Amino acid sequence: MSLKNILENFSYYRRDAEHVNDPNDMNKYGHHEYEHRYAMAIDLDICTGCNACSTACYAENNLAVVGKERFEANQAMHWLRVERYWDEIEGDYPEQGAKFIPMLCQQCGAATCEPVCPVAATYHTPDGLNAQVYNRCIGSRYCSNNCPFRVRYFNFWSYYEDSWPEPLNMQLNPDLSVRDKGVMEKCTFCIQRIRNAKDKAQREERPMKDGDFTTACAQACPTDAIVFGDTMDPNSRVSKLWAQHQIRRGPVTAEKHKTDEEIRGYRVFDELNVDPSIMYLERVRDTEV
Amino acid sequence: MLGWGGAGTALAGCDMPTTVTLEEGKEEVVSYLMPEEYVIPGIGVWYASTCTQCEAGCGLHGRVREGRVLKLEGSPDSPINHGNTCMMGQAGLQHHYNPDRVTTPMMRKNGTLQAVSWEDAMSALEKRIGSASGVDGKRVGMVTGTVSGHQSVLVSELMDQLGSRNHYVHELVNTSVWRAVCRDMLGDETPKLNFNKANLVMSFGADFMGAWGSPVNNMGEYAKFRKGSERGTLVQIEPKMTMTGANADLWLPANPGSEGALALGIANFIIERGWNSVDVPSRVRNTLKQYNLAAVEKVTGIDEEKIMRMASLLSERAPSLVLAGASVENQENGYDSVAAIMLLNLIMGNVGQTLEPTAKFAEESMRAKQGNTKDLLLLAKALNGKKLDVLFTYNTNPVFTAPDVLQIKSGLANVGFKVAFSMFPDETTLMADLVLPINSAMEDWGTHVAAYQPDGAVMGFQQPLMEPLNKETRGFGDVMLSLLKMRSKDYAKFEDYYSYLQTSLLNMPSSIVASNGSKEETWNGILQSGIIKTKGVTKPLTPKLVDMRYKPSAGNSEYPMHLVPTAKMGMWDGRHANIPWIQEAPDQIAKVVWGSWAELHPKKAAELGVKNGDYIRVTSASGSVEAQVYVHKGIHPDAVAVPVGQGHEDFGRYAKGRGVNPLKILNPLMEKRTGELATYATRVKVTNIHKTAALVKMGSSESQVGRRFVRTVTASAYQRTERES
Repeated sequence: MSLKNILENFSYYRRDAEHVNDPNDMNKYGHHEYEHRYAMAIDLDICTGCNACSTACYAENNLAVVGKERFEANQAMHWLRVERYWDEIEGDYPEQGAKFIPMLCQQCGAATCEPVCPVAATYHTPDGLNAQVYNRCIGSRYCSNNCPFRVRYFNFWSYYEDSWPEPLNMQLNPDLSVRDKGVMEKCTFCIQRIRNAKDKAQREERPMKDGDFTTACAQACPTDAIVFGDTMDPNSRVSKLWAQHQIRRGPVTAEKHKTDEEIRGYRVFDELNVDPSIMYLERVRDTEV
Repeated sequence: MLGWGGAGTALAGCDMPTTVTLEEGKEEVVSYLMPEEYVIPGIGVWYASTCTQCEAGCGLHGRVREGRVLKLEGSPDSPINHGNTCMMGQAGLQHHYNPDRVTTPMMRKNGTLQAVSWEDAMSALEKRIGSASGVDGKRVGMVTGTVSGHQSVLVSELMDQLGSRNHYVHELVNTSVWRAVCRDMLGDETPKLNFNKANLVMSFGADFMGAWGSPVNNMGEYAKFRKGSERGTLVQIEPKMTMTGANADLWLPANPGSEGALALGIANFIIERGWNSVDVPSRVRNTLKQYNLAAVEKVTGIDEEKIMRMASLLSERAPSLVLAGASVENQENGYDSVAAIMLLNLIMGNVGQTLEPTAKFAEESMRAKQGNTKDLLLLAKALNGKKLDVLFTYNTNPVFTAPDVLQIKSGLANVGFKVAFSMFPDETTLMADLVLPINSAMEDWGTHVAAYQPDGAVMGFQQPLMEPLNKETRGFGDVMLSLLKMRSKDYAKFEDYYSYLQTSLLNMPSSIVASNGSKEETWNGILQSGIIKTKGVTKPLTPKLVDMRYKPSAGNSEYPMHLVPTAKMGMWDGRHANIPWIQEAPDQIAKVVWGSWAELHPKKAAELGVKNGDYIRVTSASGSVEAQVYVHKGIHPDAVAVPVGQGHEDFGRYAKGRGVNPLKILNPLMEKRTGELATYATRVKVTNIHKTAALVKMGSSESQVGRRFVRTVTASAYQRTERES
């Protein structure tokens, strides 16, 4: 994406979040031409906060364990972290429990991390992912500075030197690299699994179908709270959930489309117009008990 | 190729065929000229096995590439975990690849453990327990964690051969008291918990999603319970909010140890109103009468209105499922409290609806021998009474889990010859005179029959997912067979544990192992699925109202606080403290990493003048620990919760010297009817020691500060938008 290219095609690239090509097709808007749009639906009512997803992510994606001191310095590399919030309550006890949310890269359609990269190391893939090219990254950290979700993680250290003492290194997944100092990294929606599934479908000379693969977090989840899939496939589980909960792709905030404002679908920071690919379903609490 | 014969039946995995990714294209460039058997460079193959990280017995599929196991997933065929895993299952890999594995046999010489050969180790064993040793079998003991399947059979056979009855089965995280009550009041120790048929789950301290029973199965069933045609309601009563409590619609802390009174108060109110669907005999009814609302409020600290509300919920939202877990079970009045709680199931007619019988594995000798803490007390007694000359330890770490006052450590000095089957240099292993390095779960054969069988009676089959990492480790079953061969000629026909397992399984009645054609095909079928599904033996439940003998626990003015030593999903009883992924995973509630902390209610924290990160001293009559405070409202103001699992004196680089172990300061109190260690009954006092440091945890903000990351709707709105449309 050279400057010349941008200037020549300025009006096309301007057609980002605000430009809807076809209001009936939530996948087609802006300047991206998608082959797939991978997305998630995470049901916070059945998310128990157990950490299975997060640990599965460490196992699948060669995430470095940084240790206590670096964790304290906010240098943990948890691509998927389960956040816990308490209600601000007057009473003595949190009678409605705690609030959990698995927070990972939202793979925004209009991502704030992408345009600020000075070397185009972070870019938008035809699968709808915010990808990070490690070899191109120069470590400016503009992207993480610009991410409202704080889900980009910078390698402040060469973690490979001490995170996997032998033979722990034998567990490393050879399908993706171990990142070195000076590089930004983030959730990829398990891109290595996407690649494998694509290759398999190609060899079998068929289109990809829902359920061909899933991400490590969704696969581990003991309550199946995480549903992963392609929103360009209208029959995928995730498409159906998005439709049922009246969340559309695109820039405009979700609530506008809703026939009932208590329908549970929402996207975190939807109001920032970043078009996240993760729809959360609101936690439910019985207030009549 | 030890132990790999016949294991090569690959499951069709999702990355089975060759691919064109850059990394996987490497096979074209650097090919293995002579790849080992079953190794196809660049191709991952999935093998079925069984998880051994806790005793739930979930089925696993392990991804193996270039001879290395890289990732574990749940087996979709398992009726226990239905394709899912928990964080402990995921982290099994880091037990296997742990850099602090014991890699060679070691013998104590001049007071220190020194590497020896297996030949020397076995001849030392032969001298001690061989048929010519003249050993007194009654003075031989073995302490293990929960053990089942063929491993259990071998342990029993060795004990029989020696004439010993001293097999101690110890697990800190257990459901012993609940099971005893289920046995007495339902006629089934492990009834099926039908979450999905319940409209209400009322749990008195049962952290069923975290560290009680079969967590992955429970969580899957919990999801069905929430997503049923009527969304199920969860009420949790416990002194410290567990992960399960964090998911409750109503969370309440009753005064610790008073939960039985609360249950009896609810039962009394239900009966007064005539809401019970099963009649209550007058002797029980008379006992209940003293539990009127005012009396119960006084004992439990739960106000009358809430007690009435809980009673009416049980009536309005029938059928319900009422559970009792660790914080109730492990009080001195644990059994009687759990019985009072079980009474609610009986009078509300839940038996047969949300509580159903489970199938038991037909071969009794292979059923799970479930660990408890009663055996820990018995072990302490035997050690200090100098009743043992030889002690084997396997898959348990009593030196770590036992309170100091039980004097397990000094008692072990009374045992002339201690043999540890172990993967790691943990506290118990380092006390041994002979350390036998065993294979990891991913290098070994085995069979596992879970104690809780939600759907049929299955046996999980464990097969090696790769060659052993170290040449000098051996399978537990292999070593047990060698020991048996020292005592009896009957075992000479088995070359190794693999052949023993194969012979045994292929000769089982067809009702257990169904034939799949030839013997080879049957065997391959077992290897391929990793699960042997059987119908098992089912007996109907026989509900029986026992007399209510609940008595509140006594107060203590010198030690006014209750110590809550929480075991949780992840660290469990401390066995996972040497796993870096587990250490770095924030605690579900406090979000603290890599250490210990003490949870306090803001009221108590203000009283002491402490805030997050300040150190307090928690002192019982048996000792004290110091930890940083984490303040939150999800705890009873008179309780201090210190998580279990840290405070290892050894156990490798990730665990050693990190945090504190609250188990060490427990008083030697017993649950009165079962003889279990009452781990939640210790009273403590808490003092500010005026020392502070940053509390290393995830997230700097405790609340959402008005932002709406996690949004909430009411159950009635949910019912309207999703269940009725």
